[in-house]
Amino acid sequence: MRYRGKLYPISAVFSRSFYNLMRARVAFVLLAMMFVFTSCAALEEAQRRREKRILEERDATSLMLKPSKAEFKVREDGTFESDHYTLKFAEDLIVHEGFDEAEKRELFAESALGYMESLYDAMNRLFGFKPKHKIHVTLHHLYRGTNLAAYTRTDYRSGMADGRYVKFVNGIQMDFPMRMYEKHGVRVHELTHAFTNIYFLPVWFSEGIAVLIQTEYAKGGLHPKFDSLAANLEIDLDGVNQLESWGGHTDNDPLTQWRYRYSYTLVAELWERYGADFYIRVFRLMEGDGLHQKLAGNMKTSFLVYYFSEAAGEDLVPFFRKLHFKVRKLTKEDILKQIEENRANRQRRRRQ
Amino acid sequence: MSVKFKTYRGYTALLLGLMCLCYGCSLGQEWSENYALLPGVTASDPSFIDGKPETIGESQRKKGSGNVVTDLDIPSEAIIHLPEKKSLYRIVIHSTNLEEFELMAFNTRGEWDKIHDQRSNKEPIIDIRLNKAVTTTGIKLIVHRTTEDAARRRENVQIRRENVEIAEGQMRRGRYRYYITGPTTALAKISEIELYGYAN
Repeated sequence: MRYRGKLYPISAVFSRSFYNLMRARVAFVLLAMMFVFTSCAALEEAQRRREKRILEERDATSLMLKPSKAEFKVREDGTFESDHYTLKFAEDLIVHEGFDEAEKRELFAESALGYMESLYDAMNRLFGFKPKHKIHVTLHHLYRGTNLAAYTRTDYRSGMADGRYVKFVNGIQMDFPMRMYEKHGVRVHELTHAFTNIYFLPVWFSEGIAVLIQTEYAKGGLHPKFDSLAANLEIDLDGVNQLESWGGHTDNDPLTQWRYRYSYTLVAELWERYGADFYIRVFRLMEGDGLHQKLAGNMKTSFLVYYFSEAAGEDLVPFFRKLHFKVRKLTKEDILKQIEENRANRQRRRRQ
Repeated sequence: MSVKFKTYRGYTALLLGLMCLCYGCSLGQEWSENYALLPGVTASDPSFIDGKPETIGESQRKKGSGNVVTDLDIPSEAIIHLPEKKSLYRIVIHSTNLEEFELMAFNTRGEWDKIHDQRSNKEPIIDIRLNKAVTTTGIKLIVHRTTEDAARRRENVQIRRENVEIAEGQMRRGRYRYYITGPTTALAKISEIELYGYAN
């Protein structure tokens, strides 16, 4: 017992210190394991983020499309048809090699409509809306004497709805010389017109957004951006920005190239400032109000700036005035009042 | 004797086992489904991945400087993106005019690695077996030459004299100059690109 009693404290101290040491070690191991697990999770998260970023960068270098499930058929009149398009070949094209036989034309049409349908689906996803009408595409060798310009025309008619005159889209027509059709960027540009012109936009905005989508989304742009909007301003004798008098790319004008570049720079500036979905918000607001249909004639920049300001959450009239646009600040009441006045004037004139 | 016999029998069994393994491996390895037809796959031209051999897509020219002369050497490309990583052993390209091209695979660093270089081709279906598996989320075909390049050059490169008017009605014959009016290479016409690994 004595012997044992002598030994007891030593072993007790030893076992206690061993126990403490082990406890510390266990705690240390536990801590280390927690650290390893946490860092593993953090590493995994970082790895996942990196992979996502790399994939986003991969996807940002060219326009990638999914195959469409649209149906393709040949009409009795020889026109080719898919879910959202009709396609025909102009007389001046069918004499050329590659289009001189019905079989070759059918083969080409099926491939072309497959691409255009995929593009249509992609644009629909991008904008969140689509035109109600089929798009009629005609391929030419030369159109209006040139093979360097493609055209999209949105036809509309006026009709009565709820006792008021409103504009309805009648049809959408696209004309491509083959040389232009071969450029995927041009197809995207023209399809943007087909989608957005249902809102009867001012020419400068219609062209600006088409170049924006062509360049930033489809990576097929041909018009470089200006470094500065203020430094590259062009004004007319009234002191108004030359964009406002743009009649479209049918204008054979020395300012045409400047107009494309400037409108693209302006549209891109707002896009960068208020986010990638800025114009989607603008179109959604327009669609919700439906006022664009009730306006007489083309949409004015002041009307457009009203929607820009609503979507941006700040008044953009000073910004546009600084760029020498002839704009005034409008409220929805002003727009409705204007529509009512136009209607009253029309009725008065009819009575006279 | 018996010991020697046993060793011999052991070697035979090992050999037979290895043969069975090899046979099993070669028999069991079947091609996977065509990954290009999986949902979520995208392409620079959807005709490459629509599963319809009758539709023909084209490679695309990358945006260059805008200057025709500077951009002459920029090759056209056809790209396929997969929604997730896949191990590829075999790539089949259906093209009527593709002659010389390179195949690239997208790596985890966000760069394109060359995985195949084809210097000549006369076949409408090009069946490429890769030496080693390539695990990737994207394949890019860089077109260097097509059978239609010469026709495109004839169409878009013209040689004209640069005549100078020296007096009213009199012209001095000038030197010959090349005028380039459009691209001097044709785009590759591709109806399908098929991507295969081994079936699980």
